[in-house]
Amino acid sequence: MSNRHLKDAGIHPLLGYVGLTALFLGLSVYLFQSTDFAPYIYLLLALSMIGNLSEKRRTEFLRICFGDSSMKKIRICENVMASLPFLAFLLYQQLFAYMALLLALVILLALSQFKTAMAWTLWTPFSKRPFEFTIGFRNTFYLFILAYGLAVVAVFLDNFNMGIFALLIVFITSLFYHSKAENEYYVWAFHLKPKAFLLRKIKTAILFSTLLALPIALLLSFFFYPNIGIILLFIGLSWAFLISMIVSKYSEYPNEIYLTPSIFLALCLWFPPFLLIFIPYFFKKSEHRLSRLLK
Amino acid sequence: MISIRNLSKKFGTKEVLHQIQLDYEQGKVYGIVGENGAGKTTFFRCIAGLEDYEGEISSDLTPLKNHLGLLLTEPFFFPKITGKEYLQLLCQARDVQISNMEDKNIFDLPLNQYAATYSTGMKKKLALTAILLQGNEYFILDEPFNGVDIQSNILITEIIHQLKALNKTVIISSHIFSTLSDTCDEIHVMSQGNLIKSVQKPDFATLETEIKQMTLGKKLDKLGLA
Repeated sequence: MSNRHLKDAGIHPLLGYVGLTALFLGLSVYLFQSTDFAPYIYLLLALSMIGNLSEKRRTEFLRICFGDSSMKKIRICENVMASLPFLAFLLYQQLFAYMALLLALVILLALSQFKTAMAWTLWTPFSKRPFEFTIGFRNTFYLFILAYGLAVVAVFLDNFNMGIFALLIVFITSLFYHSKAENEYYVWAFHLKPKAFLLRKIKTAILFSTLLALPIALLLSFFFYPNIGIILLFIGLSWAFLISMIVSKYSEYPNEIYLTPSIFLALCLWFPPFLLIFIPYFFKKSEHRLSRLLK
Repeated sequence: MISIRNLSKKFGTKEVLHQIQLDYEQGKVYGIVGENGAGKTTFFRCIAGLEDYEGEISSDLTPLKNHLGLLLTEPFFFPKITGKEYLQLLCQARDVQISNMEDKNIFDLPLNQYAATYSTGMKKKLALTAILLQGNEYFILDEPFNGVDIQSNILITEIIHQLKALNKTVIISSHIFSTLSDTCDEIHVMSQGNLIKSVQKPDFATLETEIKQMTLGKKLDKLGLA
């Protein structure tokens, strides 16, 4: 399935896997350099990703096809295989106890099943202006609890870097709310011209992500007041990347994978001033791309 | 009024709509019938501007799409978005402010529940409610009666009558002939991308008989049930 996605995007699967491995390693190294709590966050991230394989309908499909006993074996194999990259990195870090814990938890997870469509409705502060943050918040609310908790710990330990990491968790999570192209009906339905449509999306994203980051930003500003410039710099950069993500998505719309802007975005991560060229260029490209649906 | 001139649409080399000429007048309800794959949905998508096409589509109010309520055969819903949020999203898309959303819930839908968990009929009713709240002048309803319970069928029929009374233009496709004969002023028959016939209200009964004969033919004899 992933091979097909990569081929559809015009990427050779081998190249795609090398890129994904590099990204995984880069983020893992960054996480372990940033905080002492990295092993816990790492375990949580691994479990939340692997947990998607325990979706109820998927498990039921496997049970119907292979029977109960074989289904359990398949599910355990799947989860162990999916956890291999995380296990390998923990091995590299020589965190053997965490390796054993992750292995035990993924096996336990293989024997459980979850309903992804919840019967109850989770409250969200973004209900009045759907849809990106409304859905995103419901999918990732636990990451905000984690980020807020981490910010409090950062204050107690007097660790400014950890506080900034907590702030980045909020903004990076918000970035992913704009990673997937929506059904064209939800673009077509707007009575706006492409420029106004993009500006509305950007305004909402900045407002809501800032609202989510505000508790951490205020906490850090109060307890690490001399570093307020750095806090503002990180917020500004996060806004710029948020805008970049939005214009990247619509520059290739309705394609789901946007290779060219992703490469440029990676360049901007390496050298953020590139954003000054990137944002206007891809904004124009998005305007052009959306003009088919928004007249 | 919506005017369609020489509308053609190709997917690759296959022509799915061929030189369609039509005028849809204000305050009238139009039906489209045709077999599966006749090109009805593609025709609707062209009018809405969701597909590129050859020919010309014009309307009194421009751009047409900003005054058009489009009910798709299978409306798409995001996971983890409630019925109420869906209505808000579609109204905000047109900058329409609705203060008393609950009062407008004429189909008694569980608006605080995730729309993705609704049944087929409930999804259709939610999507219909949304385009009604948008305050559109033109409506395209692609199979609005599919999967909907009998009470809602009656309600939808009355809504269409009311839209006509309000001088709106309504275009409906349906595979249930009685729903069209109850609501439409004119029915167009589509076959393999061509509009082959336009029938006025007095001739609906004849059209129904013709469709029955065309569809059934001697197919039942082949089964040898007798």
